[in-house]
Amino acid sequence: MDIFEAIKNRRSIRHYKPDPVDDKTVEKVLEAAHWAPSWGNQQCWRFVVVRDPRTRSAVADTLAKVSVDSEWVENAAALSIRHAPVLIVVCAEKSGAGRSGDGALLNEKGEYWYMFDIALAMQNLTLAAHALGLGTVIVGGFDVARVEKIIGVTGDCTAVTMTPLGVPAGKGQVSPRKKLSEVIFMEKF
Amino acid sequence: MDLFEAIKSRRSIRRYKTDPVDDKKIETILDAGRWAPSWGNTQCWRFVVVRDAAVKAKIADTLKKIKLPDKEVPNPASGAMNNVPVIIVVCARIGSAGAGHGTPGGKPEYVTDKGDWFMFDVALAVQNMVLAAHAQGLGTVIIGAFDAPQVEKILNVPEGYRAVTLFPLGVPEHEGKAPPRKELSEIVSKDSFGK
Repeated sequence: MDIFEAIKNRRSIRHYKPDPVDDKTVEKVLEAAHWAPSWGNQQCWRFVVVRDPRTRSAVADTLAKVSVDSEWVENAAALSIRHAPVLIVVCAEKSGAGRSGDGALLNEKGEYWYMFDIALAMQNLTLAAHALGLGTVIVGGFDVARVEKIIGVTGDCTAVTMTPLGVPAGKGQVSPRKKLSEVIFMEKF
Repeated sequence: MDLFEAIKSRRSIRRYKTDPVDDKKIETILDAGRWAPSWGNTQCWRFVVVRDAAVKAKIADTLKKIKLPDKEVPNPASGAMNNVPVIIVVCARIGSAGAGHGTPGGKPEYVTDKGDWFMFDVALAVQNMVLAAHAQGLGTVIIGAFDAPQVEKILNVPEGYRAVTLFPLGVPEHEGKAPPRKELSEIVSKDSFGK
């Protein structure tokens, strides 16, 4: 698929068919993520591929509720995680990005550069999935401590984000974008 | 260009030709950035296109030196900053990405232990932009190690916004090399972490 077509037609998918996704396809998607650049080539990303329906359901239970018409309802992405055959949880090793060779933090963003590097990989992942006919939706609003317990995150790593991966049931909606003139400035902010 | 080809052949470019880059190519790149997904569609990214030589030089001066055991050397990207025709500085509105609906009737608050997600959302847009540049024959190198408060002063970035990252944009003078990647088995596990 042409890259610009992939960038413009990728949508966040919240409804999935139960159709299986094979290991080879999952590997292609993760390989694309892994080709992202990273701070000092630290490659702080770690991917956990979850197929077990009980684990997926336990993770789905940790998603933050959202407020719709002043009622608190389950995030639509929780259902996606239960329905799609694969869930990819992306963790970060916290001690890499944002530091100089001697381990000192280099600017006022501190160690939060791991959020940046994880997202570079995540965007490759969502584009690659789309080009292979699969849907994703990036989820950040979940109970990190519970998820880390469920999937057994150890050491210096933290769970950052996750996405279901599966065949879309229906097209995603286009979220309206701000005009280019609202987000672009010439020479000065 | 095919997406997978773009993803696999993009390199970080640290030396550039002085050839000009036209506005149309830049707009294509910024448009690609804008198509990234974002937390609750908050689109916190703001892009500043810098062509002015004096401003580019000031920004280049804010790059952090790299500490070696016996000396400090300039960032290999800093030489590129002066002769490259364009620098894109990516800023973020803070306080939007990562924020939830709050308690009913209350103030918005951050949903996760990661706080403000501006670093994450900006990077989703940046990855689209470096791929879109590469597909048009242009090189980039993502820079994070610079004095952000100083750059905010240079560019008049107002309160409520932060300078996050910047990248030069120009015609590559050479093919970049691919730094070695870890084996997939080192970074991927099944059903539980590290398995």
